[in-house]
Amino acid sequence: MSENPYRPHLMRIVDAIEETGDVRTLRLKFLEPEIASQLHWQAGQFGQFSIFGSGESVFTIANAPSRGGYIECTFRQMGKVTSGLRNLSVGQVVGFRGPYGNHFPIEEWRGRDLLFVGGGIGMAALHAPLQFALDHRDEFGEIVVLNGARAVADMVYKEEMKEWERATGVRVVRTVDPGGETPDWNGEVGLIPDVFERLRPEPDGRIVITCGPPVMLRFMLMALEKLSFKSEQVITTLENKMKCGIGQCGRCNVGRYLLCRQGPVFTWAQLKELPSDY
Amino acid sequence: MEREGWRLSDKEWREWVEALLRAGKLVIAPVKENDLLLFRHVLMADEISVSDQGKAQWSPKEFLFPRSEPLLIYRLRGAEVDLEEPKADEREQVLVGLRPCDAAGLSRLDDIFLLEEQDPSYAQRKKHTTIVSLACDRAEPECFCTAVGGSPAGTQGSDLLLLPLDDGWILRVLTPKGKELVAGWAARWRPALAEDWDRTEERRSAVENSIQLSPLSAQWGTALEKSFGHPLWESLGQRCLGCGICAYVCPSCSCFDINDEGNSFCGTRCRSWDSCAFARFTLHASGHNPRPTQPSRYRQRVLHKFAYFPDQHEGRFMCVGCGRCLRLCPVGIDIHHTVERAASAASPEEERP
Ligand SMILES: Cc1cc2nc3c(=O)[nH]c(=O)nc-3n(C[C@H](O)[C@H](O)[C@H](O)COP(=O)(O)OP(=O)(O)OC[C@H]3O[C@@H](n4cnc5c(N)ncnc54)[C@H](O)[C@@H]3O)c2cc1C
Ligand code: SF4
Ligand code: SF4
Repeated sequence: MSENPYRPHLMRIVDAIEETGDVRTLRLKFLEPEIASQLHWQAGQFGQFSIFGSGESVFTIANAPSRGGYIECTFRQMGKVTSGLRNLSVGQVVGFRGPYGNHFPIEEWRGRDLLFVGGGIGMAALHAPLQFALDHRDEFGEIVVLNGARAVADMVYKEEMKEWERATGVRVVRTVDPGGETPDWNGEVGLIPDVFERLRPEPDGRIVITCGPPVMLRFMLMALEKLSFKSEQVITTLENKMKCGIGQCGRCNVGRYLLCRQGPVFTWAQLKELPSDY
Repeated sequence: MEREGWRLSDKEWREWVEALLRAGKLVIAPVKENDLLLFRHVLMADEISVSDQGKAQWSPKEFLFPRSEPLLIYRLRGAEVDLEEPKADEREQVLVGLRPCDAAGLSRLDDIFLLEEQDPSYAQRKKHTTIVSLACDRAEPECFCTAVGGSPAGTQGSDLLLLPLDDGWILRVLTPKGKELVAGWAARWRPALAEDWDRTEERRSAVENSIQLSPLSAQWGTALEKSFGHPLWESLGQRCLGCGICAYVCPSCSCFDINDEGNSFCGTRCRSWDSCAFARFTLHASGHNPRPTQPSRYRQRVLHKFAYFPDQHEGRFMCVGCGRCLRLCPVGIDIHHTVERAASAASPEEERP
């Protein structure tokens, strides 16, 4: 392997799933197959994805390590780099460097009930730990997934949710913001934190894993407080802008942490200690 | 302390630099250009300006960490991609005439680029660089090296140090790399005598005593962190224009950006200097900005240097007290003053270290 941390591994796009009008999931395979067997990651870690000519963007590695041999990412078209990626099709080559960052402490979740709460593209960050839990179904208690979007058309993982529901002891709740429903919508209508409160989850023995836009996170934490969840039971992953991924470019610095190294995964308890620079 | 050094005349050390140039080394040193003292590649030792006692307008960090440099070159052939890494710079370079604060600044860059993960191009340049600093004979009004653990004759980050005397210099050897650079000259040079060393000590303490700004303590880190939500930051950072000059002139600022320059056929991935004063530094694609106001960005600059970095690096500040940011800030923002104000606002008098 190259010693240059900035030299990405080349990967070919082998599959693409249209999640919504602006979200796509890609499956990538290493051009050098031996890299695939050397690369180890854990749910919650991320990569720097190169779109040559546009730049690099950070995405969560969306597939669980239990589904190895390839890398998946779910990305939303936003600006320069993600638009460049959007223009690529199956067969074309991108770059990947990583895995970077810390990961979800899944080992500590064994035997607990898991509640995943994702808002919009935030669901991408929950995909790997959820997939891991589903692949090790008997090691965890009840699994609830609350997937929220602004409107029905913006809901990610529509097809996959059906698969998740088929697993035993898994409940999937879909919700859209008021006004985002369609005539044939049979899911919930309401903002994610409100729907979460309506579910009245028992804090006892439960871990809540949540990711979404900053406002959603703020109201989620208020709802969790109301339902008497302890801050150690709640875990999220932050999305500060980052460039190098190796703790040098300075961009993702929040308090004493560099998010690309000591983050992006934090418990609510840790968030309380952080300056509000995220 | 065991000290090794030679007593040289101005002519003697310039001869030595001349020989380094003849041996094909690149020599970078302060040169007077119009009214500014600037680090430049020199072709003759006589170009080097040491008589002007001030520090250069900008720090010399760009010779190890360029303003902009290629990280990767890419070429597309249909669906395939070829990657090429830029050729490593293997020329030997000697930086001459850095003030001790600037040399200390380079050692902060080492903390960033060499400590945990090696940055290949920085590591390569550093390997081929020898640093010959120049002790200060006089402090400038903005200097506060002593307030942050430095000294006008500080040795941190230097391989050799030129110490001024009334009638010449001591060239002090500090590292094996420094020793190598003077190999072969020992026979020609006179070793410095005890009284020469004594005189440099006297000069050092005279300059140190002339620095007015009070020491900053690494223990203030906690107080500074506590100051995060203090309304004082609004007024401390309100004037900041977000121009980024402070970061560009700072010897220890090292934050950078990475961007592709080119098109979808070929191009270069470039790294370039950046500044936490810019709104885009942290602006998410979604429009969310964790540091949405100029005061919040200025606060990051100060806390990074005086609280977060020391926490990770054994109490070392990410500031070497060169005072350039005080001198060159268009609205006169004074980082030393800010640290004192913020730390004292956050901790009651009796708790202050
Ligand atoms: C740890 C982490 C995980 C992420 N996971 C995902 C994911 O799974 N799916 C997804 O769609 N998005 C994810 N993001 C956000 C994603 O990185 C940005 O939306 C994306 O980089 C925007 O790039 P752009 O060029 O289109 O936008 P522009 O605004 O044009 O971006 C310009 C530059 O800024 C960088 N940038 C902009 N916003 C961000 C940001 N929030 N985080 C990091 N870099 C940014 C870009 O990489 C690019 O280099 C994640 C961010 C982080 C930090
Ligand atoms: S030089 Fe002064 S005005 Fe410019 S960004 Fe720095 S503190 Fe702000
Ligand atoms: S922060 Fe200012 S005084 Fe400190 S090293 Fe940088 S430029 Fe010099």
